[in-house]
Amino acid sequence: MIRLRDVGFRYDAAGASAASAPVALRQISFEVPQGGFRWLLGPSGAGKSSLLRLLALAARPTSGTLEILGSSVAQARRAALARLRRRIGVVHQDFRLLPDLPVFDNIALPLRLQHRPEDEVRDEVHSILDWVGLASRATARPPQLSGGEQQRVAIARAVIHRPALLLADEPTNALDEYQANRLMELFRDLSGLGTTILVATHNDALIRRYPAHELELAQGRLLRDG
Amino acid sequence: MAERPGLFTRWNQARRADGLALRRALPDRLLPLLVAAMAVLAALALAGATGAQILSARWSNGAASMLTIQVPDPETPTTTAGTTAHLTRSDAVLAALADSPGASRVHRLDKAELGALLAPWLGQDHDFALTLPAIIELHMATGTQADATALARRLNTIAPGTLIERNAEWGERLGRLADSLHSCALLAVAIVVGIAVVLIAATTRAGLAARRLPIELIHAMGATDGYIAGRFARRTALLAFIGGLAGSVLALPILVLLSRVAAPFAAATPTPTPASSADWTMLAHTLLATLPTPLVATLLALAPAAALIGWLTTQATVRAWLRNLP
Repeated sequence: MIRLRDVGFRYDAAGASAASAPVALRQISFEVPQGGFRWLLGPSGAGKSSLLRLLALAARPTSGTLEILGSSVAQARRAALARLRRRIGVVHQDFRLLPDLPVFDNIALPLRLQHRPEDEVRDEVHSILDWVGLASRATARPPQLSGGEQQRVAIARAVIHRPALLLADEPTNALDEYQANRLMELFRDLSGLGTTILVATHNDALIRRYPAHELELAQGRLLRDG
Repeated sequence: MAERPGLFTRWNQARRADGLALRRALPDRLLPLLVAAMAVLAALALAGATGAQILSARWSNGAASMLTIQVPDPETPTTTAGTTAHLTRSDAVLAALADSPGASRVHRLDKAELGALLAPWLGQDHDFALTLPAIIELHMATGTQADATALARRLNTIAPGTLIERNAEWGERLGRLADSLHSCALLAVAIVVGIAVVLIAATTRAGLAARRLPIELIHAMGATDGYIAGRFARRTALLAFIGGLAGSVLALPILVLLSRVAAPFAAATPTPTPASSADWTMLAHTLLATLPTPLVATLLALAPAAALIGWLTTQATVRAWLRNLP
């Protein structure tokens, strides 16, 4: 589960003092139980990406307490944070694929960082490549793929290690309706298996098709939790 | 059916595919070249240190432990009370020196040795018109010091006019000079190591900057600081080892040459180089045998030392850089 209490976050602007640094999030408090699914809503600049960064442990809150999968982030040592990150999957809005690695190796990264045996890595990656419909593109490099294909690779990489927490920033942006629906079915299955999921999106049609608990942000504040 | 790859191959594939692409982060030419240059400089400085140490030991224990005694009118019988009237002045001094505590060897230079000693001033003709004083070398046992003043007083009672030259003063001066040279050489080694550390750290930082995106990505996926630093450090250690090895090989002929030049001062017997260099093992063995043992050990330790310095420097540099990430 994840728990936030009065969490605030300021960007560490170069040359700016702590007081004058831009504020991204103010006094955010909410909880998501294990296996819970939340839509993360709000206009651009509302703080959705900043919140996902905090939850992905890519930054630390500047105030308040953040608890991820039972660990307090403020008190965790670097090695403990690294272990925690291995239990999190992230679908970035800009995909963040490594351009010089083939699709297969991009997807295999989380498993290899967990030192899984290569046989297991190969089986798992081929299995998920089949699922995302990219089995024939395993040796292609990301720059050779379309936007939709790159997004599917990013999704495959985020879920291949069956994370306990899955964070997705506009994961259906480059997908057609069929692929978007398949992705939502996958999220539903993962949630049923105990994965806590937060999905930031502007896709109203998708939200209507898959109604769920919503967290709405505006100007760095949580407006709605329900 | 395709053959299943071995364990090492699969492990290696997994390492290569973690996205760090260290061959691009730390190119395999620049670093070994820089380390090789540093290794040659270190080898020369260490050779200087070793040579100075050997000379210091020789001058302290060799020349410094010897007294030179001049006995004028050596063949004149002694007249001093208490001595045997049949003895000449030189024989009486020799007898007294033989009884000196700590004396390990007493040697009177014969006519040929005296002639060779005086040849630069008096020429090769050894038939001198003048009566030359007897020159006697008194070698003291290791660890013993002769009281030159007391000895001079005693010898003058036996053979008045006897002079004692205490070589220890020169030995101590030369020893101090050698010690200073030794310190300078060690300082040079320390500077070379310092420059190597700075170079490796700068190269590593450039590599980190070049691979920032994959590093940040695998860090975000849960790669520990130890994993990332270890990957960089192993690559640097390998490149530094290759550089150190190349530097040692390059330095070897220079050191052999220096060793041959310094051999007369260190009393080492230069080993003749074999006429045929077809057998490289024999040649390497012969070259190494020319060098003092401590220097050979230092030379062999150069590549592992370079690897260790590379590994430690990279570990520290990468871990410090990673501290900027959450």
